Amino acid sequence: MARLDLDENSATGQSSAQSYQREASARVSASDDQADVARVLAGEVSAYEGIVRRWQGPLINLAYRFCRDRGRAEELAQEAFLRAYRALGQWRQDAVFSTWLFALATNLCRSELRRIPARTVPLEDVAERCDPRAADGGFEDDDRDRAVRRAVSVLPAKYREALILFYFHDMDVPAAAQSLGLPEGTVKARLFRGRELLRGKLPQLLGVPRLKEA
Amino acid sequence: MSHDEIDRILSHEEELLPSSGFAASVMGAVRREAAVPPPIPFPWKRALPGLAVAGLTLLLVVLVFAAEATRWGREATNEQISVAWMFRLIPIITAVTTRTVAWTLLALALTLASVMFSMRLAGRRT
Repeated sequence: MARLDLDENSATGQSSAQSYQREASARVSASDDQADVARVLAGEVSAYEGIVRRWQGPLINLAYRFCRDRGRAEELAQEAFLRAYRALGQWRQDAVFSTWLFALATNLCRSELRRIPARTVPLEDVAERCDPRAADGGFEDDDRDRAVRRAVSVLPAKYREALILFYFHDMDVPAAAQSLGLPEGTVKARLFRGRELLRGKLPQLLGVPRLKEA
Repeated sequence: MSHDEIDRILSHEEELLPSSGFAASVMGAVRREAAVPPPIPFPWKRALPGLAVAGLTLLLVVLVFAAEATRWGREATNEQISVAWMFRLIPIITAVTTRTVAWTLLALALTLASVMFSMRLAGRRT
């Protein structure tokens, strides 16, 4: 799997054993998906349950990253499964089933969130809600992590979507690009710009004066 | 905050577990979807000749009227046109009415015949 760090194109620190295990499990699920799809297309509706059970977790988590609302994430995931069922015959098997499913779910999340935007709070409120300093004078890790995630949710849609999918796909640019239906170069540019915007907002969030950039 | 730190925070997000009834609920929706009969597609192959004939007829009528109007416009002055229209329209209206009645009767007869034929076919099957 092509992994890319935005700054230096370096691989992330993942052991080869883990990577092998992940690739093996991806191969198994890909062949399972293919078999289940063939059975569903042959008229065996119950075979779709295998697909739902395999991908319910990832799809709910993907939707959650877009809307930050568990109930809505499950609704979006259910709708994505239903649309995938209806369009199963259109899956050209040149791409892995999960790639097709994620692209479909991503499009659904994007269009639904444009229709009814996720409830977001202004950046200033995010900063006020989390306690910027712990008792020992240090910033609480949990609060900081929450603040960073909230900062992502208030970015402009095109940067937010690129960041969400990049991190959802374990920092895999080609996978994020396929889910968004965009060229990899565009996704890289949006990721870079999105992260710069995020860095610009973070000092304000974390209550730290922003350093003047050289 | 460095890019590495942003990477660490955003890539290690807590995983949500699906609620217990989620898969069952999705499968319920899928089964309901599967139970609905597929929509009947419009019979384009059968309708196409009829649509083509109707289109051509319409085009022909428009062309004939346009040609007639141009000819009258060349032949007569404004006053003559209004009188000429009156005299020329009467026989056209009479002919059209007679033809319409004939076509309507023919269409009704065909409809009756096809209804009787299909009822007879249905009666044979049951």
